[in-house]
Formats: sequence, structure tokens, C-alpha cells
Amino acid sequence: MASVRAASRLLSKRVLANTKAVPAAAVQGSRNFHFSIYGKKKSAKVADDISTQYPVVDHEFDAVVVGAGGAGLRAAFGLSEAGFNTACVTKLFPTRSHTVAAQGGINAALGNMEQDDWRWHFYDTVKGSDWLGDQDAIHYMTEQAPAAVVELENFGMPFSRTEEGKIYQRAFGGQSLKYGKGGQAHRCCCVADRTGHSLLHTLYGRSLRYDTSYFVEYFALDLLMENGECKGVIALCMEDGSIHRFRAQNTVIATGGYGRTYFSCTSAHTSTGDGTAMVTRAGLPCQDLEFVQFHPTGIYGAGCLITEGCRGEGGILINSEGERFMERYAPNAKDLASRDVVSRSMTIEIREGRGVGPDKDHVYLQLHHLPPQQLATRLPGISETAMIFAGVDVTKEPIPVLPTVHYNMGGIPTNYKGQVIDHTNGKDKVIPGLYACGEAACASVHGANRLGANSLLDLVVFGRACALTIAEEHKPGEKLSPLKPSAGEESVANLDKLRFANGNLRTSEIRLNMQKTMQNHAAVFRTGSVLKEGCDKMADVYQSMEKIKTFDRGIVWNTDLVESLELQNLMLNAVQTINGAEQRKESRGAHAREDFKDRIDEYDYSKPLEGQQKKPFEQHWRKHTMSYVDPKTGKVTLRYRPVIDSSLNEQDCAHVPPAIRSY
Amino acid sequence: MSFLRLCVSASRRVVSRTQAVGSVFSGSARSASGALKDQEPLKKAKTPQGRFDAPEKSGDVLEKFPDDVNPKTKEKGGPRGPEPTRYGDWERKGRCVDF
Repeated sequence: MASVRAASRLLSKRVLANTKAVPAAAVQGSRNFHFSIYGKKKSAKVADDISTQYPVVDHEFDAVVVGAGGAGLRAAFGLSEAGFNTACVTKLFPTRSHTVAAQGGINAALGNMEQDDWRWHFYDTVKGSDWLGDQDAIHYMTEQAPAAVVELENFGMPFSRTEEGKIYQRAFGGQSLKYGKGGQAHRCCCVADRTGHSLLHTLYGRSLRYDTSYFVEYFALDLLMENGECKGVIALCMEDGSIHRFRAQNTVIATGGYGRTYFSCTSAHTSTGDGTAMVTRAGLPCQDLEFVQFHPTGIYGAGCLITEGCRGEGGILINSEGERFMERYAPNAKDLASRDVVSRSMTIEIREGRGVGPDKDHVYLQLHHLPPQQLATRLPGISETAMIFAGVDVTKEPIPVLPTVHYNMGGIPTNYKGQVIDHTNGKDKVIPGLYACGEAACASVHGANRLGANSLLDLVVFGRACALTIAEEHKPGEKLSPLKPSAGEESVANLDKLRFANGNLRTSEIRLNMQKTMQNHAAVFRTGSVLKEGCDKMADVYQSMEKIKTFDRGIVWNTDLVESLELQNLMLNAVQTINGAEQRKESRGAHAREDFKDRIDEYDYSKPLEGQQKKPFEQHWRKHTMSYVDPKTGKVTLRYRPVIDSSLNEQDCAHVPPAIRSY
Repeated sequence: MSFLRLCVSASRRVVSRTQAVGSVFSGSARSASGALKDQEPLKKAKTPQGRFDAPEKSGDVLEKFPDDVNPKTKEKGGPRGPEPTRYGDWERKGRCVDF
């Protein structure tokens, strides 16, 4: 007893002694940094050029990769393998990136289950993109696909196998043989049911063989641009509040998508479109942001998707009046109608006031009229899922669902090599020093609609492409071009402004306003009047950012500040999405409008082409949207860029001329 | 001085109370899994009682295939349970996964 008391007294004394030894808070700028400058990090220097309040550390590397998901890791160790001194700046630990949630597989024309050819995969992807994809990038991706999957397997990724020991491939939507005429193709390679998780862990493990410097939990604020060239990144270290400038000849952006602009999305809370926003603030365009993929039945509040098999097994969608509303919209197919019809019907019901819940903003998926044993055998695990994510007993209550965002096809425009481009004077111009890959980029392999199992392939192929392009054009140890000493001061000023913001609206309120506006106006159901109303409302929400209020004034692990920075990034993405959708007056792929139900191409492909006059560029819609935003006012400018219709090698793989897309 | 004595008495009471509570907990655990425990001696006396001595109940709805080989498709190392792509999307435990 007495010994316990004595021990506790000793311990408390030691703790007190430690607290006294810790230096004063970083606000005064006199605190020791959490990392010491030794070994490789010798080049880090503390600079006073921007501000004396915020200690800035300068680093010099050959290449910087922002984001450490599937694409970012592949690019980072591809560069390290080629001998470049690479830094990987990420706001999450690499294995926590959203790639880990992709449970499905990767498509590749390996030909293990039947005779296969990558040119058939090329055709399927071009058709899936509704002819908005750049055919040279698609050619590159599908040709490299078998090599990419074999490379992953050599890295140690445990794909599932056939009896002979080859990689097992299963059938998945949209893949066909012989240019669509040979039936279903089996191309999807998977690792049990956790392909994304396994991919990310394999890539992370492989990357540790090389000497990439990881800067984990560093939030990238802005690109350092000078004279139209990208010279690095400026980032905030969340752990101790110091600002770091990473100067590098080559910057690769692989920050992922921006699902969190919508109220209901499957993305992690960290999918905030930081890369696309950084590029927008640098005055560069973003491409095709209005193409957002929706899934009809996502659980309200949680964002998990309920499989279409529920409706296939007899589940029905009901509104607040208990009516099976799908009978009105699709009298023959009813609940088994195609995804976009179901999503649009649900949205129309909600808009007309027949939604359920306190906000009347979702509908119910009813399964309790089916016998419980049938549910348990056909859909094992669904009662567990419904209880965990929706809190309902699926044998007694319906599940609340609404259309949910799960992928962004748009992003930073790049060519097939991964270099970021801008479209001026009718030609594509490469921005020196800047590259992008993954969901953040739009090399436009997905076009207007992404096929399943192609996105994991996109990550690894274009991550590797960025690394290869940089290795071709630059050498390790190249001298860095000079940079103004005060580069990045606007980012630090913005950070300071947000840290001491004292308006009257909290970050969470502004974010909820934005998410609700986007969900109500820029979701599945798009018509001119709804979109126009949405654009005006979004402009108001953008202006309301001036009245933001943050509470945490510290600098060490200030999540209030980081969430407000993420909200700024989300806003930029949201205004571009809704304005792009409002301007595009046609229906193509994932962008479906009620008032313009057809695709408007340069020719009418449903009729024979002879005798048709080609429409001029301004009058048809088979073109990419390039959107620019003025960050101060939130005003969006839209320009257009033609689709690249020729493949990389016409003899090897002929391009696919546009046609009507029907499955 | 008197303050210290107060602290002493307070902590002694707290210690004794926790000891009593501890014995109540272990007593109830013993009686809860009493049926099994009374028949055999504890194999691992230092582990939480009863949990590792009984065979592990598999709580997962989706069962592992024998040898991890799917009997219908002969796929080794594939997803457990019914074929995930049977409804046209990737389904697992009622959830659809997008990739």
C-alpha cells in the first residue's frame, strides 16, 4: 500500500520533470522540430523569407509525389528505382489511403481463362467511355495492362489462382471478346475479396526497398509555380505546425478524388480533391469534372452501397406513402430497371416531396417481405451489414437508401505520358515540371463513364507512366531552377487567415450546406432549371466561406484548420462540377440530363454517315470540358478541348470510330 | 499531515474496493463458464478464463472453403462465400463495392 503510494509519487514527479523540459509552444516559433536534420535530410534549411511567425523548412529533391495511394506509391518507387531522390508527401499514412477500400479486381487481357487480346479490352473501354475517352491513353493503358498485372504479381501480390497456377480471371461487367461480338470476357483478376487492400500493402512494402523519403501527415497546401512552370510544393506538417517547401524539378500529383462534395458518397472523409484544387489555384484547368458516377442504393448516412442483388432477389423501393414507385417509372422492369433509371426515379420522388425521414431526403429499400431463410442463403451477411451501417433489422424494417457518389471520372488533364496539359490556341501545351496520375488525373481513359475494374489498372499503369516519363526526360541530381525566396507566401497567408478566422458560420455548417446543395442539384437528376438554381446556390455557399469561424488557434495538430483547408479545396471542385454540368447540354455516360436526353456528336451516329454534314466544334458536345476558377470570387470559366481519336499506333491497334453505345 | 492521512485512508478504501470488485468479477466468470471449467483443469491458467480453452466459435457468415479452393470454379485463394459478381456488381455481405 505504502509502496504503491510512493511509486505513484515518484512517477508523477518524473512526469512533471518531463513537462518542464518541453520547450514553449510553437506559436512563439522557438520549439524544436520533431525531426532532426541528419543524413539524407541535410539539405533541409530553415528560412525566414516568408514569415517570422511561421518557421519554414526548405527541402530539395529531384521529384516530389503528393499523395500515397495506389498511383502515388507506384510513381514514388518507380522514381526511386530510376535513381531519383524522391519525397512522398501525404496527409495520411500510405496504407490508410482510400485505395484500400477497392475490394474488387483489376482488368487485364492475360488470356488465362480463354483466348484474349488487349485490343478487345481497348474496344470495350472506348465504348464504355461513350467515346469521350482519349484513345491514345486507352491504347497505352490496355496494352500495358498484362505487363502491369504480372509486375504486381512479381512484387508479391497474392492473386487468386486457377488449378494450373495461372491467375484466375472472372467475368465482370462491360468486358467482351472480339470487339463486342464474342460474348462475355473473363478479365478481372482479384485477391480474394480485398484487391485494393492487397495492392496498397504490396506497393508500400515494395517501396520500402528503395530510399524514398516519406513525409507522412504533411498536408500539401499549394504548388509553387513560377513562369508557368511547377517548381515544387508547399506543405503544412500537421504534427508540429511547421511549413515545408519541397523544391523539385518534377512534381507528381496523385491525391485521389473528391467524393466528399456530395452528401452521400462512399469515399473516405479524406477524399477532398486537394490535388485538383491545388492545380485550380495555380491557374490551370481541370477536365470533365461534371462526370460523376452514382450508385442508386447507398445507405443513408453511412455511404456504403447495397448490392443490386437485393432488388434482384425481390427487394422493392418504397416512398413515404409506402408505394412501390418504380412501377410508375418502369412498368415492365420495375425495380430491376437499369441503374440510371432507378437513380433518377428515386431522385424525382424525393424532389416531389415523397421522401422519408425527418428531412424527407431518401427512400426505403424493403426486404422484410422476403422469407428470412431465403435472404440468409442468397445474400449472406446482409443482416449484419444492415445492422452495422443502418441500424435496422432487415427482417423487420426497411433500409434507408439514396443515390450515392462513388467515383469521379474527371480531374487534372494529362496526356498519355502523365504530363499535365493546358489547352491554348487550339493545341495541347505541356506544363513543365508537373505530372498527375490516379483518380486525381484525367488522362481520360474513363471518359464519360468508367467501367468496373479499370480504375485499379489506371492507378498502376499511369503511376508507372509518370515515373518512366520523368526518367526519360530528366536525370537524377539535376540542378534545380531558381525560385523566388518568397514563393508560397500566399499559401501561408491563407493558412494564417483560416487559423484566426472569426466569422459566424462553422466549417461543418458550410460543408453541410455545400453537400446538401450538390446532392439536391447536381446529383443524378439534372435539368436546366435545377442545375441553374444549384449554380446560384453554390455561388452563395462559396461566398459564405468568408464568414467561416474556426475555434482551434493552435498550430500543433490543428484538425479544425486542416478541415477548413479541405473545405476550401472541396468548394473549388464543387463549383466546377455544377457549372460544367449546367453548361453541357446533352446526355453522355454518367452525365444524364432530362431536358437533353441524347448524345450530341459531330455526326448523328444512329443514321448512316453519308450525306451528313459535320457539325462545327462549337455545336456538338463530343469534347472535354476544361474549367478554370477565380479562387477569390468563385467564378467558373469553361473552355473546351477536342477528344483525341487516334490511337498511338494505327497499324497495331486501329482506333474505334464513334457509334451509338448500346449493351 | 492530517490531509495526508485522509489521502491514505481514501486510497486504502479505494484499493480494498477494487480488490473486492475484482474478486466478484472473477467469481462470476468462473461460475458463468462453470460447466466446462469444473470438468477439466484450466489449460492456460494465466489467460482470461475459459476463452481460449473452448474451441473458437466461427462468427463469420461466409465460410472458408476446404483448402481455400472453390469447389465449383476451382479457384484457389478466391473470395469466400457465393460468387461476388453474380448480380453484375461486386457483392460481399450485402454490400456492393465499387472499384
